[in-house]
Amino acid sequence: MTEEKILLDHGSGGKASHSMFSDLILPLFENPELSKQDDGAILNIEGTKLAFSTDSYVVDPIFFPGGNIGDLAVNGTINDISMCGAIPKFISVGLIIEEGLPVKDLKIILQTMAIAAKKAGVKIVTGDTKVVPKGKADKIFINTSGIGVIPPNINVSGSNAEPGDKIIISGTIADHGIAILSSREGLKFDSKIKTDSAPLNTMVQSIIQSGCDIHVLRDPTRGGLGTTLNEIALQSCVGIKIDEPSLPVRGAVQGTCELLGFDPLYIANEGKLIAFVPQKDAQKVLEIIQGDEFGRDAVIIGEVTEETSGKVFLQTKIGGVRIIDMLTGEQLPRIC
Amino acid sequence: MALKYIEEYRNGTLARALVKKIHFASKKKLRLMEVCGTHTMSIFRHGIRSVLPAGITLLSGPGCPVCVTAQKDIDAFVEFARLDNVIVTTFGDLIKVPGSSSTLGKEKAEGADVRIVYSVFDAINIARENKNKEVVFCAVGFETTIPTIAAGILMGIKEKLDNFSIYSANKLTPPALAALMETDGVKIDGFILPGHVSVITGTNAYRETFEKYNIPSVIAGFEPIDILHAVLLLIQQNEKEKPDLENAYPRAVSDAGNIKAKKIMNKVFKVCNASWRGIGEIPLSGMNLKKEYQKFDAAIKFGMDMPDAPEPKGCACGKILLGLKTPYECALYKKKCTPMTPVGPCMVSSEGSCAAFYRYS
Repeated sequence: MTEEKILLDHGSGGKASHSMFSDLILPLFENPELSKQDDGAILNIEGTKLAFSTDSYVVDPIFFPGGNIGDLAVNGTINDISMCGAIPKFISVGLIIEEGLPVKDLKIILQTMAIAAKKAGVKIVTGDTKVVPKGKADKIFINTSGIGVIPPNINVSGSNAEPGDKIIISGTIADHGIAILSSREGLKFDSKIKTDSAPLNTMVQSIIQSGCDIHVLRDPTRGGLGTTLNEIALQSCVGIKIDEPSLPVRGAVQGTCELLGFDPLYIANEGKLIAFVPQKDAQKVLEIIQGDEFGRDAVIIGEVTEETSGKVFLQTKIGGVRIIDMLTGEQLPRIC
Repeated sequence: MALKYIEEYRNGTLARALVKKIHFASKKKLRLMEVCGTHTMSIFRHGIRSVLPAGITLLSGPGCPVCVTAQKDIDAFVEFARLDNVIVTTFGDLIKVPGSSSTLGKEKAEGADVRIVYSVFDAINIARENKNKEVVFCAVGFETTIPTIAAGILMGIKEKLDNFSIYSANKLTPPALAALMETDGVKIDGFILPGHVSVITGTNAYRETFEKYNIPSVIAGFEPIDILHAVLLLIQQNEKEKPDLENAYPRAVSDAGNIKAKKIMNKVFKVCNASWRGIGEIPLSGMNLKKEYQKFDAAIKFGMDMPDAPEPKGCACGKILLGLKTPYECALYKKKCTPMTPVGPCMVSSEGSCAAFYRYS
């Protein structure tokens, strides 16, 4: 037998990634902040609550419909911080560049990063650049880390979902993954699907300032909505029931998924959030999200149940019921 | 209004009406087999089992190309990946199927050049761009895929591509149905026949098997309404004891099938015996390159002739493919064998019944 090796599956955001985290990473670094397993760590420094998050971007291709690796990297970290209920403030950028990358490509990437940061009102305050020999990286990899401030009395976490909560999604699912797929070499579709990459900090701030009770905020990126819902069901020890007819999927995205045998529930999003909100506040939060430029297609897609703890069920269009499991095996390589 | 051919066939009102009819018609306990892996997936995805009467059991048949690929063929794919200067091109699911000693995925992690493609034409592109390397395509498929592979071979000839070859583990559907009916212990009350395959073969391809075994058979599309309709027809045939061969997918399937596709398939390939996982050798159930196209045969080009290899110990994939066992009845299911650590191919392929059971139930 060959020695156990890391496979691409370990980077899928699905089950293999989770077991790598819980079996290999968590035991070595164990601490209360990391153990929460939220999108970012929540830190208490001398009475101030901060959210701290990091993410690396290795998407292939680096330019795709609606964006590139640069704005994806900035928006991604802004969103991870926002999902902690925080207002993102400062971001660091690490660039690992492959020898031979055209300077004009780097310039475009950096320009879009600057625009994305400005739009979200965050500052890029520190960074690092490394260049590696040709073939040792693929054009450019970007790491972004960020810090945000959590307003007092805000307690948002994947472990806060409660039976009866309504689940809101801020718009159509699977746009980013399918945009990447359709622009990838060898798979040329005449589709007009663009990435949904967008900063969600303004939307999150509007939700939080409304005074509504918010239990969970999460952006269903790698692994898709299906995997994210499973994470929350496990973290909060609750069941989740999703109503298939209410799931928003664009026609072109649905069609591409059908053609290639993908399930949109497992395809990445880069500008969507899901909010778990008690029923009393659900309608108000829905309207706030719909009022944001990136949340116009927001809908309620399901609710939290007491039964079937840790599991996610889908009520299908034909009235059947099935389980939504975490993603197992990669659906698409290197989408973020 | 333009038909989108998706939403119309997932209509909840229509589905509920069909389910009501099914419950009304269903008296006998029946075991119905969906032959095609795409049906298996669709049945799970739409929660079809959960709306059927308790007496109706749906079994997954030998219709997932990855699942029926014999162990020795998987071993051959792995061996190709170990050769210097060879790029192995494969459909995604095959990459994780365990051979006797390794998988294509593990070989890739070791440094082998294994690339996932969506069709044979992607493999041809890779061959065009890598003239100094040999490109081997793992040809695994049924009547739906074989014509495209044939078209790829013809393209290879036209372009004088001498660094491209295929290892054919292609299979034909009707002989497998006949072999299934001849297997001891198999009890099936009706076939949900594959939609895509039938687009190529046409309804007539099943007539011989139907007439010999007199078994209710319905060709079905892949949307939930299509499948529920086929189940209703199979129940009605059984209740009336009037077996028939029906085409419930006439929007895509004709009696004669796709004549052009069949012509190109038969121009390049000839029918041969083939090894099926769990079933063994089925006469005249495979397709190999005709003599004049043998320079594209990777097995001949590289002298690749792997010995028969036993299937993994304890793995019930073979019996599951025959409808003799359900995944729950396999001792390895959800224990040693999961989608993360698959032992048999039915747990690997997204169309495999074990993977579908694991994921959706």
